[in-house]
Formats: sequence, structure tokens, C-alpha cells
Amino acid sequence: MLGPESAHSPNAEDLNALYWVMLAIAAVLALAANAALVALVVRHRAVRGRSARRVRSRGRAQFIVAGGLTAIAIVIFAAGVIVTHSASKLDSAGADGLQASRPLTAQRTLDVPSGDPQPLKITAVGQQWIWRYEYPAPAADQSSSPNPSAPAGTGASASFPQTFSYYELVVPVDTTVLLTLDSTDVLHRWWVPGLGAKADAIPGTLNQTWFRADEEGVYDGASYAFSGAGYPAMRTRVRVVDVPQYQQWLAEQAQGIQKGQAFVQAQLAEGGALVDNSEGDEAPGGSE
Amino acid sequence: MSDGNGSSTLSPHRPELVSDAVPSRRPRWIELTTSGDHKDQGRLMIGASLAFLVLGLVEFVLMRAQLAVPQNTLIEPITFDRLLSVGQTTLIVLFAVPFAIGLFTYVVPLQIGARGTAFPRLGSFALWLYLSAGAALYVSFAYTPPEANFNALPPLSEPAFISNNGVDVWITSVGLAVLGMTLQALNLTVTLRRMRAPGMAWRRLAPFSFAGAVSSWLLLAVGPLMLAALTMLEIDRHFDGVFFDAGEGGAPIYYQHLSWIFFTGCYVLMLLPAIGAISEIVPTFSGKPLFSRGAVLASMVAIPVLGVLAWMQNMFTASIPVGWLYGAMLMALLLLLPLGLTFYNWLATLAGGAIRLRAPMLFALGAISTLAFGLAGELIQAVIPVNWLLADTVAATAETAYVLVGGSVLGGLAALHYWFPKMTGRLMGESMAGLSLLLILVGVHLTFIPMFLAGLEGQPVDAYRFFEGQGLDTYNLIATIGSVVLSIGILVSVINAARSASRGVEVGPDPWHGETLEWYAPSPPPEHNFDVIPDVRSAEPLRDIRDAVLAREGSSEQAEQGAPVA
Repeated sequence: MLGPESAHSPNAEDLNALYWVMLAIAAVLALAANAALVALVVRHRAVRGRSARRVRSRGRAQFIVAGGLTAIAIVIFAAGVIVTHSASKLDSAGADGLQASRPLTAQRTLDVPSGDPQPLKITAVGQQWIWRYEYPAPAADQSSSPNPSAPAGTGASASFPQTFSYYELVVPVDTTVLLTLDSTDVLHRWWVPGLGAKADAIPGTLNQTWFRADEEGVYDGASYAFSGAGYPAMRTRVRVVDVPQYQQWLAEQAQGIQKGQAFVQAQLAEGGALVDNSEGDEAPGGSE
Repeated sequence: MSDGNGSSTLSPHRPELVSDAVPSRRPRWIELTTSGDHKDQGRLMIGASLAFLVLGLVEFVLMRAQLAVPQNTLIEPITFDRLLSVGQTTLIVLFAVPFAIGLFTYVVPLQIGARGTAFPRLGSFALWLYLSAGAALYVSFAYTPPEANFNALPPLSEPAFISNNGVDVWITSVGLAVLGMTLQALNLTVTLRRMRAPGMAWRRLAPFSFAGAVSSWLLLAVGPLMLAALTMLEIDRHFDGVFFDAGEGGAPIYYQHLSWIFFTGCYVLMLLPAIGAISEIVPTFSGKPLFSRGAVLASMVAIPVLGVLAWMQNMFTASIPVGWLYGAMLMALLLLLPLGLTFYNWLATLAGGAIRLRAPMLFALGAISTLAFGLAGELIQAVIPVNWLLADTVAATAETAYVLVGGSVLGGLAALHYWFPKMTGRLMGESMAGLSLLLILVGVHLTFIPMFLAGLEGQPVDAYRFFEGQGLDTYNLIATIGSVVLSIGILVSVINAARSASRGVEVGPDPWHGETLEWYAPSPPPEHNFDVIPDVRSAEPLRDIRDAVLAREGSSEQAEQGAPVA
């Protein structure tokens, strides 16, 4: 009850551990100050015949208190730096996880390993008021299902990411997921309690966070930056499944998306307006 | 004006031409609202800021009512966003900062033995800028109130996303208020520098005046930055500017930096006046001098410096190189030193004292207690990894609110109860004060502890609804009840002040047996404050005067009453 959501990722464990330490320090300081306040007021109420002792200061006590407080601050700072560093360092995937391999770009704040077990890189795009997740192409299955239905001329579908989903992020269990955050409009902030740290999705700048979910299940999250009228509806969900399920879901999702794209292409072809690039300016709504 | 340069000879009287009771030629309200007298300006600022406090509380309670049950439909989403934007702006920019500046405007010249402020007309101008700011914000309810939250971060505040003129209203209102308060800070800075009584060295300044000096310097530093940010935002909105446009070479994060520097300054301004007032009230009602004055005054300088340098602790989730974040964390954690020392010295002042629990003292003790919780909460938030958990949940709101209530509300009300007899010649009702304090203390914990717990469960900040089945229902319901208790508590004090101004018990110039110079003036003080400005020879000038009277007259009675000598 006094603590955050239970951790399901190594970095969330770091965060929660430090939270408990800080809560203890803060509680001791606040309660000690209040207890001393009450005790002193009760003990030194004005009584007839007793006057106040006019003590102005005691130099040594001042330095002891100041030194103690500075020491506490420095120790907390050191712990904060260590835990920040540890929580920003991506762990490698666990035994049950997906060993995905993708090239990586330069990182800003996260410490991403340069060796072979690379994290699964997913892009989360915040837009008013939904999260969109873009998945990398699965390494093995991709050769069997190219894009048969897409005509060669439509450049849009070729650069389209293979697989995406809205609202729900599906990831394999025990797999290190590196989430690259982007925004198409205003400031958003991604966080799923129990799965690591909050991070801003900023238009024009990429940001990153990561997690490695240790248990299959469903985790609810939201956007934590005020983004206008629909902000409270901008929720998200992480569904953690095992690796075969994930690969199956990815394939199905890719198929569904291709089917949908093919359907739209067919509709457009029927309407006859938009397949021809020379009339690309016309509104697609006319084909309905 | 020559007072500050006067030689500190020990001659008790210097010939001065003073006149009392100049007949007013115009109606009283015109005299009051156009007055160059710092006391009139201060009273109007205090009165107006308390009125805005009540308005802000109404908005706060309305928002809490909407959040009483999950998926509530009591208030339209757009209305909630407007209440949120106007309410938070009201509490910070129209209440907390002007309340502090108003108290300083009234008290500081009296405490330093000045006959007014350095720039009386500038003070009047500042007052009217502030009143115009409030009017601009609230008149907008007749057309389009702002809806982009209290800091109107771009890109949300750019016309592409909010094209109505609500954001322009917000820019106008905040701009006017910040300009007014910054100008008054300039006025106070010059007053404090040039117009202190002979012998009133900086080290002899009363803690509240010292807090006024530090607050004024702080406002002179952060106010212009905010004015610059607002100007750039307005240029972006209406004159094709690209300051905060990521696509054109600008970046939204520049505005985040500027606005957070300012709002961190506002946060410190919730603390400093409270620290100054408590550092006078606790010694006065303990019958002891402030324990280790030097350490407390030095802390008052350190707090705004470290506090404002830690502005990036509001941006730990942004894409900023981690070295900068470590710097902000270090500054925020080092605040433990001055704040802790201040608390320690307050407690050491209480120890061995003869404590009288009158209304100002009760509020000061309540403020210390509440601030201890609020600042301990801020300590938790100052650590980057923990901040990643708590930032932008309602837990963060709860901690800031603890400091707002502990500092601006309880600390401010302690100051108001303490100096009310000086302003009006009457005491504020003690039983209503006790009731008010009890309700505020119950209300603050009842509102903000459940909100902290709800934040741990992950309830996002600033949202007009939350969802059932996440364990948030009970917390939010309790917090809503608490917010009503808290607001009633504050309202009781506001009513108490309004009533006591005409019906309070009449008292003499020094009802609390204070040691600082303002108690030397009659209550309420005449327009020129002092007939004779005494030489100051210690940090407790009134004590010296009492001792001198005692030595000369051999009668303790007159000294006890603190009657003006000379």
C-alpha cells in the first residue's frame, strides 16, 4: 500500500528498492521533526515563575547537524547515481526470452550493450490520444511472406513498417525491450507501472526507455503528460506472452495489416481514382 | 531617503519635521487604491491574494468533486481542463507569490525603520498590474478561458493544437502578474538597500525582512526569464516564430527549461516568506532569541540558490544528457542542508523557552509540521530513479500541495495573524483561528496522503477522470472529502480576517512583546510610520529600547507594555 506497483522488470526492481530506502529516510526525518516539535512544545509551555533561557547558539552542535545533513545528502546522491546508472543499463535477455538481433543507433542516455545479444527494438509513437507501437520484422518468418498484394508502384507501403499495433504492446516474456519514444504532435510521457521508468515522447527528439518483463500477463499504463482534451483516454497496455505466441501474434498481425492494405488497395482500384500517381492529390474518401 | 546613510550617533533625538493626520481630500476608496503608502498597497495585495486563494480553492474543490468517483461525468472534460489551468495559475501566480510580496510590502519598511518604500508609485503600478492580471484571467470565463494547463507547454500551446485565444489570455495574465511582482521586487530591493534605519546592518535585519530581500532578488532573477519565455511563446503563436517549433530549428524543451526555472522560483517563494515569518514568530512566542540567527539567515540565501539550480528535477524524464540530471539531483539533495539546519534551529529555539500558544504561534507550529512532511516528500522526489516512479502522478501533486499549504497557506496565515494587530490595531479571533488550523491540518493530510498513495498506484496527474478497477476509488473519495475540509479551514481564516478588521479585540502597538522595529510604531501605523526613527544597535532593537526605558525610568510597567518612547 505504501509502495509502488510490484516490479516486473530489472530496472523497476532498482527503482522500487531505492524508493523504499528514500521513503524510510523521509519518514524518519519528517516524523522525527514532528515528534521533536510536539515534545518541545509540551515540555516548554510557559509556566508562571519560569522564564526562558536566552541561549543564542551553540557553535559545535550547528556544525554536527550541518555535517550530518550534508553526509546524508551525499550518500543519497551517490546511491541515486549508482541506481540511475544501473537502471539505465540494459540487461541481456533471459533464458526464455527472444534473442532478437537488430542494428542500433547511437544512444543518448541508455547504456545499450554493443555485443551480440541485442534488445528487441520497438518504437512507441505518442499521438493525440493513442500510443502506436511499431515492431521490427521477425528474423526467421519474414522470407515466407513478402508483400505479394502490394503493387510495386506504391512506395508508401514499401516503407511502411511491417507490423504495428495501437494501444496494446505485445512483447515476449524475459526479453529485453528497448522502447524508442517519438511523438507526432505534442509532449507525451510513457509509463507502465511495474515496468521501469517514465520517459517523455517529444516531437523532434528521440527518447528511450527499456524493460524486461519477467512474467506473462497484462500490464496497464497511460500517458503522464497533459496533452489536451483527450488526455485521460490515452492509456496503454503491455501484453506479455511467451516467445512462440509472440511470433505467432506478429505474423498474424502482419497478415492482418497486409490484408487490410490489400483491401484498401482493391477498394481504391475499384473507385479508380488513387492508384494512378498523377492524381495523388485527390481525397481517398471518394472511393467509399 | 537619507535614513539609510544617517550616521549612527547615539543621540536619541534628531530634529525632524513630521505631520500627522493630513486631511484626505478624496473619497476613502480612491485614497486607498491610488495610495503611494506601502501599507495601503500591501493590504490591498494581501486582500486580493486571499480573494484569489478562495477562488482557487473553489476550482480545486470542483475538480476534486469530479474526481470523487471513477469515470465521473459531473464536469465536462473541457471545463475540467479550464478549471485546472485557471485554478493552478491562480494558486501559484495570483495567490502564493502576491501574498508573499504583499506581506513583504507591508511589513519590511516597518521592520527596517523606513518611512515608506523607495518607489511609492512603482508599488502602486505593481499592485494594479497584479489586479489587471487577475481580472484578465477571470474575465476570460465570459469567452475562452485557458485550457493548456498551468505552464502551457508548447507544442500543446501552439495554435496548431489549441487555436482559441485561451492561451493568449493565460500569457497576458501571467505576464502582467509576473511583471507587477518583479517591479515590486525591484522596489523592495532598493528600499532594503537604501532605507534601513541607522545601525540596521544586514546582520541585524529581522528574519522576515531578510526573507523579503532574498525573495526580491530571486524574483528579479526568475521573473524576467518567464517574461522572455511568454514573449517567445506569443511570437510563436501569432508572428510566425519558431522558438519552440521542433521542425524549424527550435525546440519545445527550451520553453520547459525557462518555465521550470520560473515555477521552481515560485516554489521557493512559497517557502521563503514562511521561513522568515516562522523565524520571528517562534522566538517571540518562546521568549527567546532565534537560535543561531546566522545559520538561519545563511540558509535563507542558500535555499533559493540551490532550489532554482535544481529546476531540472522537474524534467528527469526528458531526453537530457544524464550528467545535467545528476547536477540537478545534487542541488536538490543539498537543499537538505539549509532546510534541515533551519528546522533544527527552530526546534532549538523552542527548547528551554516559555512557549505561549497564541494564534500566530499555533499557525507557525502547524506550518513547521506540514512543511516537514512536504519537504521530506520532495526529498524522495529529488532522486532520479524514484522520480521516474512518482513524477507526473498525483503523488507529485500531493507533495507540491503539502509545501503550498505548509508554506504559503499556514506560514502566510501565521504571518497574517502575527502582523494583523499592526495592520488594524485589532487581534484576529483566537477561537476561529484554532478551528481554522485544526480543519486545515486534518484536511491537508486527509487530502494529500490518499493522493500520494493513488500516485503510487499510477494515477496520472491533471486527468479529468480515472478508471475503476485500479484500486484508486477509495483514495480519490477520501481526497475529495479532505479537500472540502481543507478549503473550509482556510475559508474560516479568511472570514476571521475580514471580521476581525472591524470587530477584533483592540490592542496596543506591541501585543506579542516582539523584538523588532515594527512594534515600535503605533497600530495601525501613521502614514509616515515613525515619528522618530531610533538608532539600531542589535538584532532586537525593541528589546534595547525597553531596557533603556527600564534603566532610565526604573519602572518595568511601561517597558512591559512596549509603549513607544521618545
